[in-house]
Amino acid sequence: MDAELPHPPLSRAEGDPLDRSGTPAIEAVRLEVRYQSKLVWKDATFRIQRGEFVAVIGPNGAGKTTLFRMMLGLHWPTSGRLSVLGERPRRGNYRIGYVPQRHTMDRDTHLECDKLVRLAYPGARWGPGKRWRPRQWGPRFDLQAEGEAAAQALEDVGAYELGPKSLGALSGGELQRIFLAEALVGNPEMLLLDEPLSNLDLRRSRELVETIHGVVRTRGVTTLLVAHDINPMIRCLNKVIYIANGRVAVGTPDEVLTSERLSRLYGVRVEVLHDSRGNVVIVGGEDDRGGEGA
Amino acid sequence: MTGGGGWSGIPWSWNIITDFRLLWSFEFMRNAMEAGTMIAILAGIIGYFVVLRRSSFASHALGHTGFSGAAAAVLVGVQPVYGLLIFTMATGSGMAVLGNRASARDVEIGTVLAFALGLGLLFISLYRGYAQEAYSILFGEVLGISSAEVAFTFWSTLGVLAVLTLIYRPLLFASLDEDVAEAKGLPLLFLNLAFLLILAVAISFAVQIIGVLLIFALMVTPAAIAVRLTSRSLWAVVVSVLIAMTAVWGGLFVALWTNYPASFFIVGIVFVEYICIRGVGVLRETALLQAVEAPEPDGVWYLRDAAIVAAISQGLFVVGAVLLTIALLAHPGAAWNPAGLLGHALPAVAALEAAAVLGGTSSLLYFSGFRKMATSAREFATPAFLTLVGLLGLGIAIGGLALFLTGETLATTAYGLAPVAVLFGAPLIVLGSVLTGVGLFGHAVGSWKLGLRYNDAALRAGALLMVVPLVGYAVSCFAYRRALVRGAVPAPIPRGTSG
Repeated sequence: MDAELPHPPLSRAEGDPLDRSGTPAIEAVRLEVRYQSKLVWKDATFRIQRGEFVAVIGPNGAGKTTLFRMMLGLHWPTSGRLSVLGERPRRGNYRIGYVPQRHTMDRDTHLECDKLVRLAYPGARWGPGKRWRPRQWGPRFDLQAEGEAAAQALEDVGAYELGPKSLGALSGGELQRIFLAEALVGNPEMLLLDEPLSNLDLRRSRELVETIHGVVRTRGVTTLLVAHDINPMIRCLNKVIYIANGRVAVGTPDEVLTSERLSRLYGVRVEVLHDSRGNVVIVGGEDDRGGEGA
Repeated sequence: MTGGGGWSGIPWSWNIITDFRLLWSFEFMRNAMEAGTMIAILAGIIGYFVVLRRSSFASHALGHTGFSGAAAAVLVGVQPVYGLLIFTMATGSGMAVLGNRASARDVEIGTVLAFALGLGLLFISLYRGYAQEAYSILFGEVLGISSAEVAFTFWSTLGVLAVLTLIYRPLLFASLDEDVAEAKGLPLLFLNLAFLLILAVAISFAVQIIGVLLIFALMVTPAAIAVRLTSRSLWAVVVSVLIAMTAVWGGLFVALWTNYPASFFIVGIVFVEYICIRGVGVLRETALLQAVEAPEPDGVWYLRDAAIVAAISQGLFVVGAVLLTIALLAHPGAAWNPAGLLGHALPAVAALEAAAVLGGTSSLLYFSGFRKMATSAREFATPAFLTLVGLLGLGIAIGGLALFLTGETLATTAYGLAPVAVLFGAPLIVLGSVLTGVGLFGHAVGSWKLGLRYNDAALRAGALLMVVPLVGYAVSCFAYRRALVRGAVPAPIPRGTSG
């Protein structure tokens, strides 16, 4: 292992204390979570392998964002065990890239996109226990590495030419690409994308899904994507996490998106219809009783 | 400006260097300049974050709590700046602890703000020297800063800058993308607290020169202008500092020579800069600049007419200037006296007025021409915009001249009003003239682009010569005629067949 690396390594060498590539990306055992003492969901036992592209589907308030916040160490399960990339969830985990649903910036934010991506670059510093620690305080000196990482991240999401543009001037789809680059710049092993497709029309949704899928394949990043509609991405998915009615169902799309499985999840009769191009329509489940929690 | 105003400032000479030496020879002025510079640097940098974090109302409120702090300090008998620091920092900490979205709680902030002002009023009334102290806290007293206060300001500025160097990146990130920053493990509460404390320090010092009520002009507006000019964070900070600095220096400079309050000039300079930048933004969006459906030859012929009218206007202008010079040499007393001017130099005034009207007409023609050209070639959108700016400038200059002349006329009857008209008239004339110059530059740029488009050297030469009075537009007229004969420029479309 080299003593000084310019930024977190792409692939971890043999004997690296962080190399847990044999372990699954996410392992949940009998997980139960409450939000302000109200039960969000319980009894979730599932496993997501590395490099998988996973959709997190469910009605509003079913606890999709809560799942993300738990993995980021911002929310704690009330019982059960959760391990993310082979370790307990912790705040400030640079191995996870996160795109939240809400952003502080808006039309009046006059700042270059490139700068936002650069700001998210974690920098290089060895912390105790030979762990990569982000360098967050003080001035930056490794500007070249930062610039290269930012350019690479923008390139990977097909937004290189947006770099010098102002954040306030971008369209919704362009902005989501910048956020994706912002999440990717630290070279994470896992991406958590919270509703990146909301406010995008169907064509832009599909384009963004293609970009994300490309990143999943080329960088080998395990990706979880929260969405309301599964259809734009149904052909690229490895797994689906379906959260509804206080329960969680996990499996491949073919396993989960069946009338029997979803009926059991919702506790009422639900029909899953398929069209000739593989799109699905779920009938009867959305007026459910899963509307509690975050 | 040697109008009939009644100010008794320092004698003004046109030699800037001697003026500056004179100014630097006063200790109070040196102190004011030094403190003002440091405060401008602080305010410019922190203002960037204030704008980014949308906490301008919080900064306004901090200034108001500073009023009660300063009043309390006066009551206890210490320097107001210590009271300012204690009160603003306490309020800032309170805001940070209550939540990190201070900007979203307008009602709470407003309530605290009103109470703080009332408290300040109580303290001030308990103190005997009521009016003067309150006045200087509310509106600033830059010329009363002592050397000790300058030193204190210097060290505090240094400390704040050191802290900012440490937290610059995380603060910027947390201001931009709060949820991601939280997930990355940045301590949002601490960052917010640090920001509000720094803001409190900056406000405490800024209040000394600009006052509680005018704090917005120094803490928020320069950065708000800067982010409209550049989207690079470092440049925005630099520009914001420069704007704050020009305002403070310019304000002090003008105040010393006119004996009016420096705070007014600081606020005034910032205001004018803001209006200009916003004006450009509004002007760019205006429907007047949207492309119109028009055939290209129409645009060319508008431009030819514009050049002819402009040449006549400039000819009249030169004649008028010569006549005016002759008249003024014969009757020097008529210079700042509208009645005298009309009496002794009526032909000159008439020629100049006709030149101005024709100049405006030619600008309008140029504008229409460029706008029509922009339909087939987008590169004419910029000259159209610049010409529009010039038209606006002409209007402003005429308004300023009217104000100025009114002031001069009033000088004999309403003594108090005269300087006010001059004070606003003169800057408006200067601003209008500069903008008119921008418009003329637009004529030249557009003509040059036209020369490139039709590959006509004479048109390009005319564009370059537009800096020389009379020659440029005359050459342009000639060039249009020549180009038409050669067939290089599309011929006008007869009425009825166009469109």
